[in-house]
Amino acid sequence: MDRSAYARRDSPWFWLLVAAGALLTLVGLLAAHAMEVEGHVITGMNNQIVWGLPHVFAIFLIVAASGVLNVASIGSVFGQAAYKPWAPLSGLLCLALLLGGLLVLLLDLGRPERLVVAATHYNFTSVFAWNVLLYSGMFALVAGYLWTLLERRWQPYAGALGLAAFVWRLVLTTGTGSIFAFLVARSAYGTALLAPLFIVLSLSWGLAVFLLAQAALDAWNHRPLPPDLCRRLRRLLGLFLAGGLLLTAVQHLTSAYFARQLALERFLLQDGGPYPLLFWLGYVALGGLLPLLLLFHPRAGGPRALLAAALLTLAGAFAWLYAFIIGGQAWPLDIFPGYAVRSSFADGAIATYTPRLPELLLGLGGLGAAFLVTLVGVRVLPFLPPAEPAPTTPAAVTAAAK
Amino acid sequence: MPRFGMVIDTRKCVGCMDCVVACQTENDVPNGYCRDWITTEVRGDYPTLALEIRSERCNHCDNPPCVSCCPTGASHVEEFGKTVQVTKEKCIGCKACIASCPYGARYVHPKGYIDKCTFCDHRTREGLDPACVSVCPTHCMHFGDLDDPKSKVSELLRTEKYHTIMPEAGTKPRVFYLI
Repeated sequence: MDRSAYARRDSPWFWLLVAAGALLTLVGLLAAHAMEVEGHVITGMNNQIVWGLPHVFAIFLIVAASGVLNVASIGSVFGQAAYKPWAPLSGLLCLALLLGGLLVLLLDLGRPERLVVAATHYNFTSVFAWNVLLYSGMFALVAGYLWTLLERRWQPYAGALGLAAFVWRLVLTTGTGSIFAFLVARSAYGTALLAPLFIVLSLSWGLAVFLLAQAALDAWNHRPLPPDLCRRLRRLLGLFLAGGLLLTAVQHLTSAYFARQLALERFLLQDGGPYPLLFWLGYVALGGLLPLLLLFHPRAGGPRALLAAALLTLAGAFAWLYAFIIGGQAWPLDIFPGYAVRSSFADGAIATYTPRLPELLLGLGGLGAAFLVTLVGVRVLPFLPPAEPAPTTPAAVTAAAK
Repeated sequence: MPRFGMVIDTRKCVGCMDCVVACQTENDVPNGYCRDWITTEVRGDYPTLALEIRSERCNHCDNPPCVSCCPTGASHVEEFGKTVQVTKEKCIGCKACIASCPYGARYVHPKGYIDKCTFCDHRTREGLDPACVSVCPTHCMHFGDLDDPKSKVSELLRTEKYHTIMPEAGTKPRVFYLI
């Protein structure tokens, strides 16, 4: 049996990495247990900021899960044969990230033991209920798609399932963006632009995850991306990053155009303490412009620059999500414009939020679970491309990436 | 079936918080949380200042965003009184309703489910007023059937000037403030 498409079994790093992933997941579960026993009072979340750091991790993982399927979609839907050997890895990463994200979301629920209620009682007017269906559907479709990729007898159906997964992931990301867009009570979110923005962001975040995962597996298993593919993915990442920056700019400009939103935009982009800092420095500079420079500057090309750009993209993703999710909730509702408000219920006040350790650990637990699933997946099933298409020397990769 | 609503005369409210204490006692609201609260709003510059004191709570909206967003249907409109209620057993604590409520009327109960004002459903079914209304020392709070033209609340809304909170949200709140 050809074992070239499996992760190497003799690597001494394997068990160490499995232990690290399992430990991280366990710590996340323990943090969730502590939050379940002690209540949400041990978190930094409050009545105004109801979605905190765990949701930053969860939304990142779910949105990236959609985008990480890029490589498989390009192969199956757009017929680019060069991408096809990496389609199974792309699918596996999608399932792993989705699992990690949903784990965080589920364990942050006030009553996680009642998951069965969410699975058996649907309110079809709720975008949250739609997303329950979208997430489960994504699991089923990608699992089926992977089956057709790995099982020769089912390969004729790979194209159809690949197309279905492609459409579904666009709908899924639209649904995730719509969770925020449909919130009448939070003025920072009320825009239909969030759906396309989430789609574009998912494409860049997912591709960045894929590039990093592939690079790690390459170092471990010696399956480098062909130079031509490196070059194409570099351009794609740049395109997605630029698209994200453009749509973010349009979103804020549109919002700032409405006079009643000016104070909110000033808060998010100028006066809001950590939120403008995270937005401008974290997302725009480090997570957007610098990666673009690394990807397209004639002197900065190369595999290392590509990986650095991917890493910075992910750092920018967390910065953007934190500023978007927490900052958007921190801004108070303007119940009666023109009134100075004082109440026993913190009306009119900008909410403060300090993430607590259990929240961070729960989020990291989600990352750990995604890491663990990926690691075990590439070990037990042939998700990696076979050895034959691994064609190149480091010098050739460098030359091609330039 | 009645369609309950509340009318609060802000000209008579003194912000004593008796309504808050009564609610916490009647409904066993845990320490540090509240189903209703007092808001004081000041508008204008000295010497032309305006002050309004309001007792606020869930508005039991006719078009409640918390009900449409609840993924399990735990938040629902009760047949009796058309009030917005939460079925604890169906609530998974996802907090979607808290994020959707323009009035900040909900909170996460320490037991994990979402809690809020019920218009004292257990009392109104017995023909009693909600606890907050029954204890108000200035009788500034009135409760009744908005669909009954003879009720006190209907009469007040016909004859007095009033406003609601954030009408532009389109939620059609059913707590009215006389001004």
